Amino acid sequence: MSIDVSVDAARAAVPVSPGVRSGAVRSWGGAITVAMRTVLTLLGIAVAVQTFIVVEARPSDLITGIHGMADLVRRAVPPDFSKFPETIWPTIQTVDIALFGTLVGVILAVPLAVLAASNITPSRVAYYGARGIIGLARAVPDLVWALLFVTAVGLGPFPGGLALGVHSVGMLGRLFAETIEQMDMAPIHALELTGARRIQVFTHGIVPTILPTLLGISLYRLDENIRSSLVLGFVGAGGIGFQLLTAMNLFQYQEVSLLLIIIFVIVLAAERMSAALRERLA
Amino acid sequence: MLRVRSLSVRYPNGRLVLDGLNLQVEPGELVVVLGGNGSGKTTLLHSIARLLRPSAGEVWLGQTDLCKLDGEALRQARLELAMISQHPSLIRRSTVLTNVATGTLGRHHTWQTAFGGLPRHELDAAHDHLAQVGLVHLADQRAGTLSGGQKQRVAIARALAQRPRVLLADEPVASLDPEASEEIMRLLQNLARSAKLAVLCVLHQIELAYGYADRVVGIRGGRIEFDLPREQVSRDSVQRLYIREPAKDDAARDAARDASREAA
Repeated sequence: MSIDVSVDAARAAVPVSPGVRSGAVRSWGGAITVAMRTVLTLLGIAVAVQTFIVVEARPSDLITGIHGMADLVRRAVPPDFSKFPETIWPTIQTVDIALFGTLVGVILAVPLAVLAASNITPSRVAYYGARGIIGLARAVPDLVWALLFVTAVGLGPFPGGLALGVHSVGMLGRLFAETIEQMDMAPIHALELTGARRIQVFTHGIVPTILPTLLGISLYRLDENIRSSLVLGFVGAGGIGFQLLTAMNLFQYQEVSLLLIIIFVIVLAAERMSAALRERLA
Repeated sequence: MLRVRSLSVRYPNGRLVLDGLNLQVEPGELVVVLGGNGSGKTTLLHSIARLLRPSAGEVWLGQTDLCKLDGEALRQARLELAMISQHPSLIRRSTVLTNVATGTLGRHHTWQTAFGGLPRHELDAAHDHLAQVGLVHLADQRAGTLSGGQKQRVAIARALAQRPRVLLADEPVASLDPEASEEIMRLLQNLARSAKLAVLCVLHQIELAYGYADRVVGIRGGRIEFDLPREQVSRDSVQRLYIREPAKDDAARDAARDASREAA
């Protein structure tokens, strides 16, 4: 008598151990991962290639046009340091536009952030309202805000300050709200248990806890705003940017190079000061 | 002073966590609550502090039933009831003295306190409370720099600043080494005696309960198994508190799983 047992029948008869089954699952999982990686790599290459097409990248144009740039640089050297006294006031304006914008941004962003932080917001309506304002302020670029304010209040540093202020509300509001949301709530609950009122819990519990982080973020924003205030001058919002635009339009390249040196010094100084202060706060 | 009458708590998932508890703590008395995990110890403290609303029963603080209060009335009544927990939740960047003085905020509804200030006399009083817990030399140090035991003592000083009549302590020595644990328990015992505080303390350390409690309450499955002076509490009766109840534990696990599913 022969016993004919097919392989499939044997497989069906022998219970598959969990280890064997999980091994099969693992090999399938591995194949899927490899396929996913390949697809993602190809997708990444496709995205990179399409950017060259969309921006119409022509390296040959850059090579042939480099003579024009070299000519511009040649005409900008040496910088016209005799114009230095005339740059002092616009420089002060530029720094003050940034300071004003940051100050307005911080003052408006703090209450908005309190409303927009899901863990301490007094109501859902306030939460969505504050999130909406912050989102709008952030979504519109500061350059567009500057154009709008120039239309409203005319040329000069004031629209620049307002533009940076409003845009900073968006940027700071979001970061402040996230800082509040990520804070350890246990000390806050402990304070509530002592019978402290809402405002007292805020000033005695939340503020001391998040203040260093908020100051760090604000200093970083000031650093960013100084750079932005230079550009805002190009749309008539005063400061050294406006002077740079005027000098370029009048082909005063030696004055342009002086202004670029001043801009470089301001940006570097702001960056270093901001970094040093943030380090102290940490 | 503190009287708990027929206190029951049922969670939204239907689990009965406290089942008709009766308890009393007198001024100057340190009562320790022992029980296994999930026996309802913390729920008992949270119900007394009205961090959650009991399903039934009464919590009397002097002549006031906390279970009948809400809003501002509850906040006012809570001023007489302080609570410390396993993790002393201090404001890390504020000084030790400021942390202690924040315990007085509930008594002051002024512009000064609303804008982050504290009355001078309360800061002086906070100094005295720090002296009571032996940390006056650290008054100007940031709370975040202290050790676990020191933080817990600051939390106790803050509770004292509140000038409560009842102090609830939820596993106050759970994260401390044995020496610091002894210190904290000795402090709680002294405060109960000297300040005439009614102290209700949840513990897992049986030896500390034998060493410092005036009375020991054993809880199992949300019910009180015994409520006796510490000298009368036998080792066997304490051991029984920690014997697993399979049916109940499984039910608790199922309930917890259901609750987490609902939350998800």
